[in-house]
Amino acid sequence: MSLELTFWWLLAIKLAVAAAVVPVIGMVIGYAEMKLSAHMQSRVGPYFAGGRFGWAQLIADGVKFIQKEDIIPEEADRPVFKWAPALVMLGTMALLVIVPVHPSPRYGIVRDLEVGIFYALAISSVSTIGVLMAGWSSANKYSMIGGLRAAGQLIAYELPLVLATVGVVIQAGTMSMQGIVSAQVAQGWPFVLTQFIGFAIFMIATLAELTRLPFDMPIAESELVMGYVTEYSGFRFLFFFLAEFANMFSMSVIAATLFLGGYGLWGINPETLLSPIILFAKVGVLVFLMIWLRWTLPRLREDQLQTLAWKWLIPIAIANIIVTAVLKVVL
Amino acid sequence: MESTFAHHLSEAAVSVELETEGMTLNIGPQHPSTHGVLRLVATVDGERATNVRPVIGYMHRGYEKLSEVRTYPQIITIINRIDWVSGFANEVPFVVAAERLMGVEAPPRAQWIRLVLTEMARISSHLVFMASYPLELGAATPLFFALRERERVLDLLESVTGGRFHPNFNRLGGVKPVYAAGPTTKKAGMDIPSGFLAETRDAMTKVLATCDEIENLVAGNEVFLARTKDVGIMPVDVAASYGVSGPNLRASGAGFDLRKVSDYLPYSEFDFDIPVGRNGDCWDRWWVRLEEIRQSCRIITQAIDGLPSSPLQAKVPRIIKVPAGETYVRAENPKGEMGYHLVSLGGLGPYRLKIRSASFSNLSILPWILEEALVPDFIAIMGSLDFVLGDVDR
Amino acid sequence: MTASPSENSASETAAAIEEFADRVAGAVGGRAEVSHGTVKVRVAPSSWKEALTVASGDLGLVFLSWLSAIDWTNEVAVGDEPDEPVEERYELLCAVSDLSDGNLAIISTDLSHDSPSIASVADVYPGANWHEREAAEMFGIDFVGHPDLTKLYLPDSFEGYPLRKGFPLLSREVKPWPGKVDVEDMPENGTGPSTENPGA
Repeated sequence: MSLELTFWWLLAIKLAVAAAVVPVIGMVIGYAEMKLSAHMQSRVGPYFAGGRFGWAQLIADGVKFIQKEDIIPEEADRPVFKWAPALVMLGTMALLVIVPVHPSPRYGIVRDLEVGIFYALAISSVSTIGVLMAGWSSANKYSMIGGLRAAGQLIAYELPLVLATVGVVIQAGTMSMQGIVSAQVAQGWPFVLTQFIGFAIFMIATLAELTRLPFDMPIAESELVMGYVTEYSGFRFLFFFLAEFANMFSMSVIAATLFLGGYGLWGINPETLLSPIILFAKVGVLVFLMIWLRWTLPRLREDQLQTLAWKWLIPIAIANIIVTAVLKVVL
Repeated sequence: MESTFAHHLSEAAVSVELETEGMTLNIGPQHPSTHGVLRLVATVDGERATNVRPVIGYMHRGYEKLSEVRTYPQIITIINRIDWVSGFANEVPFVVAAERLMGVEAPPRAQWIRLVLTEMARISSHLVFMASYPLELGAATPLFFALRERERVLDLLESVTGGRFHPNFNRLGGVKPVYAAGPTTKKAGMDIPSGFLAETRDAMTKVLATCDEIENLVAGNEVFLARTKDVGIMPVDVAASYGVSGPNLRASGAGFDLRKVSDYLPYSEFDFDIPVGRNGDCWDRWWVRLEEIRQSCRIITQAIDGLPSSPLQAKVPRIIKVPAGETYVRAENPKGEMGYHLVSLGGLGPYRLKIRSASFSNLSILPWILEEALVPDFIAIMGSLDFVLGDVDR
Repeated sequence: MTASPSENSASETAAAIEEFADRVAGAVGGRAEVSHGTVKVRVAPSSWKEALTVASGDLGLVFLSWLSAIDWTNEVAVGDEPDEPVEERYELLCAVSDLSDGNLAIISTDLSHDSPSIASVADVYPGANWHEREAAEMFGIDFVGHPDLTKLYLPDSFEGYPLRKGFPLLSREVKPWPGKVDVEDMPENGTGPSTENPGA
């Protein structure tokens, strides 16, 4: 009996793995954030759940959320309100489809697309629609302001995010994620060395896309109570909660792929099973960076955020593209 | 004719569209950043406020009326609860007012202990501000730095008075009743506990170190500067006409501190500076409070070095009746000017006690200062005024 | 620290307070009283607003400390009645201060019990706005010309004026004011309850 699986079986398994990764990674990062923030603040953090180190804290939280009543406000636009969290989650899951974890074209990636980056940037905006839906349908002024802030913020930061990746695409000469990684593996060094400006802009824009501090105005507990998630409870709240952490993962994984050489590392044969571990280690570093910033910085104001995007990040990103393009031709 | 009508109609539709209607945003009384039960009814256009109306009174406990039906020692217990973040400092002006009417003066040691504990209350109150203000701007970590130090100070307060928030330690004519009911053997422990002076000196060093740490963490942060500089500017004349006092007034540039000009406690024997701000913005209000913590540490260190020895209690009658008369004694409390206008007709309790609390006046400037402000700046400005709702509503 | 310098400085302070009181009284056209270091200047109700305008302007008392009232009456619902009869009136007080030497003056005026009404000073001291709203709801004083004399603390439907002496306090209705018997004797006298641990 052949171990070769048919295309459809393989696809189904890959999709199932990609879908399962989201909640698992969400919980892992959620736990990491709890523990790391605690240690940054001279606290202990989760301690009792699971016996040691509170490792089961997020599982316990998940069980708690599932048990809670699903409250839908009287005035809410019910179908929109109900589907918004699903849409947010969907955007995150769909992003993982194009992430290469191994050079093998058959097992290393769910589907390698010719326009991989394009797809990634497009699909990551789907969760924005979910956020807007949540803000609009909650029939709450705080949610509404939060949703509108999110819309303004995500439009403003979509641009630098896209522009920051252009430099990488020019250097690699392809938009396929697998192609970009193999280009870096082939040349032996990651693009972050030449595209450092692009990387920095990408990470800043990513923080804004994720609505994490210092760009968490759409949630802004001290101003908008909880922004667009104010009215959510129970399982639907859990969706937003997990999506935030899973989104951190998926955006970091894209950044690691584009700028940090994906699964490639000096002197290590990418054909081994070490590849996924290398990728996850790089992702871990980026996630740690995000958590570190989250617990250090205060929140910007909405107009300061727009100023940063339009007056600084976008012009710098464009200049970066021009310089990269010129050098590509000249060298 | 019909086309003209249609034209008018379409024009009307356009003008309706252009004229955006202000949205009423109700912030509070249950809201993460209103420090309790303050309610703001704001009319906002987008995120810019056109009109803000504060609604208070959700915590009105009627202390002025309650004071009329209580004896003087009983009143000390309830006025602790006015500004619960600096409970001890609330007691002092009231006790001094009653003592003045009685013609009694607390012995030096009692006065110095009052002074030390008042400054500790100031440190603990300002540390709460240092904790909560960055939190309102989104930075959660300074909270833990500040509250850790506050715990040290509260431990010291507790070791002397037995209470962390509501010490109830002042007595008319001194501190802590030396002639209290109870076994005589306990009387030896009526003074400050042994080891207190050394612990205080140690704690002050640590508080000063944490001040540097907080300054490094918060003041060195570009985002924090961007959120607070030139936000919520309060000119000194406007501030004064609203009765804004304390650190908020000094941040606007007035070097006015009742500790320097009034004699309710022997501050004239101490060497300390009055930090004064320049612009009267949120940043200055933050900075002034941080400096005040340092100055308070200075005062406390001087005080424990030279604590005079004397009885803790002046001779007062067993049943206290305050002679007829009236006086107003005000004190520089952590939040600002706190004063008691005490009117006595010679009874067991006051005929009328007007409580002038700092946060009430500090908050009354909100409609002026929040006009044309952005919703995120609401939080920055309100937080920088550092009010306690118990102190507003009394 | 010897006694004489502090006594000297105390008498100097007293002289300075007297001088300040006279200056304020002269400027606002009132009668000065100094009681326990507190300066009070009585003016007529008709010149109330004028007096505070002068205080905030020429006298430099720019800082509004507080504004409130006292209900002087011989019939009280709770608490002790005055031993000696007082003149029935509302006394309106406004404490203003400068921002340099810490001189504080309480400007005071008397309002009749029947129709307490006075000109608002909310345009002289903007901070008086809330204080006047408080005095209005607590004492029933009408401040003419106030921009928004609605209730400040109390619910809009609240009836009565709580800080008037005639306003009963529910808790004292239930458990009456113990008055002058509320004090136990010293334990040494043997009449009060013992605080010794009976088991010891």
